[in-house]
Amino acid sequence: MAVQTEALGHGHGYGHEAMTQEEYVEQRDLRFLGFLLFLFTDSIFFTAYIFAALYLRSAAPVWPPVGVERPDVNLGAVNAIILFGSGITAHYAMHRLKESRFIGYVWFTIVTIILGSLFLGGQAYEYAHIHATWSGSTFGAAFFTLTGLHGFHVLVGVVYLIVTLLQSVAGKYTPERHFGLTAATLYWHFVDVIWVVLFFLFYIY
Amino acid sequence: MSTDTIEILRRADKPIHPAPESFIKKYIFSVDHKVVGIQYFIVSGLMILLSGLFAEAIRVQLTGPHNTFLTPQQFDEAFTFHGTLMVWFGAIPLVTGAFGNFVMPLQIGARDVAFPWLNMFSFWTFPPAVLILLSSLAFGAPNAGWTEYPPVSLQAGVGIVFWTTAVFTVGIGATLTALNFLTTVIKMRAPGMTFTRMPLFVWASAVTAVLSLVATTALASALGSLFLSHVFNVPFYDPTRGGTVVLFQHMFWFYSHPAVYILIIPVFGIVSEIIPTFARKPIFGYKLIAYSTVSIALLSFMVWAHHMFTSGLGPWVTMPFMILSMLIAVPTGIKIFSWTATLFGSNLRLTTAMLFVLGFLSTFTIGGITGVMLASVPVDWHEHATYFLVAHIHYVLFGGTLMGVLGGIYYWWPKVTGRLMSEKLGKWHFWLTFIFFNATFLPMHFVGLLGMPRRVAYYDPAFHGLNLFISISAFLLAGAFLLLFANAFWSLKKGPAAGPNPWGARTLEWMISSPPPHYNFKEIPEVYATPYGYGEPLPYSAPYDQVSTTPTY
Repeated sequence: MAVQTEALGHGHGYGHEAMTQEEYVEQRDLRFLGFLLFLFTDSIFFTAYIFAALYLRSAAPVWPPVGVERPDVNLGAVNAIILFGSGITAHYAMHRLKESRFIGYVWFTIVTIILGSLFLGGQAYEYAHIHATWSGSTFGAAFFTLTGLHGFHVLVGVVYLIVTLLQSVAGKYTPERHFGLTAATLYWHFVDVIWVVLFFLFYIY
Repeated sequence: MSTDTIEILRRADKPIHPAPESFIKKYIFSVDHKVVGIQYFIVSGLMILLSGLFAEAIRVQLTGPHNTFLTPQQFDEAFTFHGTLMVWFGAIPLVTGAFGNFVMPLQIGARDVAFPWLNMFSFWTFPPAVLILLSSLAFGAPNAGWTEYPPVSLQAGVGIVFWTTAVFTVGIGATLTALNFLTTVIKMRAPGMTFTRMPLFVWASAVTAVLSLVATTALASALGSLFLSHVFNVPFYDPTRGGTVVLFQHMFWFYSHPAVYILIIPVFGIVSEIIPTFARKPIFGYKLIAYSTVSIALLSFMVWAHHMFTSGLGPWVTMPFMILSMLIAVPTGIKIFSWTATLFGSNLRLTTAMLFVLGFLSTFTIGGITGVMLASVPVDWHEHATYFLVAHIHYVLFGGTLMGVLGGIYYWWPKVTGRLMSEKLGKWHFWLTFIFFNATFLPMHFVGLLGMPRRVAYYDPAFHGLNLFISISAFLLAGAFLLLFANAFWSLKKGPAAGPNPWGARTLEWMISSPPPHYNFKEIPEVYATPYGYGEPLPYSAPYDQVSTTPTY
């Protein structure tokens, strides 16, 4: 079994608490790089479908195809503002934790979770009311595949934030040691940035 | 990330923990990169055997122009399984999962990869993926070839669902392995091992990891769209609803062209390790070999449409892709010439590993030259989907990847098992493989140029003689592999002890005992130069500077 990670908390039930600060920093830096690489490879997933959407658009004489309506741009804009707002609150939550203002962290995280859930609700409303179907047209194919993939990422992000919130209430994260929170916040910003592209792609362009 | 962090990471006095004692933690759910590497080796080796059996079934069918050994339907399934198993379940896990896992952390002087638990998880995505793929045989197997182009792949029934799920699952493991390897190479090299002091196999593993991180996810999206098209009737590829099948070809080849470099770049690394060891010379053009690997990787993302010259893209698309594809011959040529220059004037030791590498150099060069021919649009229009293409891909993937991998097996076997293989049996294995490889695939060029199409169960009786010759050679080629198994069993039972460094090599994995101890390095070595300075003192801190580099095999 891996010698150095065993010493650092894998396999034998050592938690973060058992690590020295040096060992923690070492592990954190490895995980930070690994997590950035994960986000990079995840962005390729979206990029490929965005390419597919643009390709299908270029193959169509009119876009969206005849008989298909774009989703309501006003609803989309409200949803976008909700999601970007949640990015801001996620950012402040992180800051509060680093400044040891725990209550502030908890409130900002709860607001982030609520905004994320509102976004998902907005998307569900949109799915229920849009005049397009997944199998009916290439616009629908691109729209539902990409926003569905993005919505799934938001859902994972909300669950991720809830888990980190529960963990921090249980005392797992400190101003010095909070890689799990850093990762969750990074992930949330990543999901935000993807939405900028998708909003432009489906509601405006 | 501050510099003192890196110092902590690479410091020499890390505590050493004892190996796990329970059987399951030691051999099944092990997080030790060496055990994971061996697990990958066994499973991907079995997949290559299985895939070889499908290939032999194809060759049995083709012994006669209208043979009834397989129905056309079964024939389609056979070549689909042959390709799928060979690419995703055989060769890619073998060169990354097996060789990368076992050798790369040892060569950078690390005690494990960056995320050992994730490494174990990556491996354990592999057996379930195999089961999913093979279970499709019971439910209507996929039969549109390993590329699974729609619309044919979408007409074949539920097999495509199994196929996409299986390849997606094995792709998750490949992506996580790539992420793991890249983090390991960037962050966990021994102190003093700058990028330009890394062994060339480590360069190759890192570049392959980058390719895999970009490309495998793109493949996942292509597989996802195929899955959605079948299960939810999404019209990506249905022209009656505005879709276009060429889109799939773009998405698929954006992955699958880099994938052929995922298959070959680690083998470039293996070859770059074996040649200087047996030439007893510093490798010629260390930096050129390293940087040409990087440029091959960059170019590989700009050439995917050369697989689609017959898809009607138009001259303004095919011309740039043709020129870029031909450009790849430049960095590849730099490698071939650097290896040849290393051999030039050397006191060459013709061990089995070295023979396989010489075989690699000759056959891979032929595959590379036919590659340049096929990159030319007018030639490709004539040769596309003929046996000329089949001959080309097998000269690159069998004569290149597999030949290099066999060299790597003979080279690192003593390190993994602690025992030497029989050189006598090994040389028989090499010569039979080399002769029957060429006897199998060289005539395919001829039948291809004469116009025999691939992927068809029947053919014009005019091609009968050559096809019979190819089939018989293919059976003998498969038979040659029995010598490898005999050699492996003999070595495990009776092979003489290898000692730490039987070949007199200079990379770090040979500075420790064979097989390596659980913790790899008792003290993390310091590195002062590239490992290829034959004739100079070893570039490592004590006690690793005292290892003998006199060959003892």
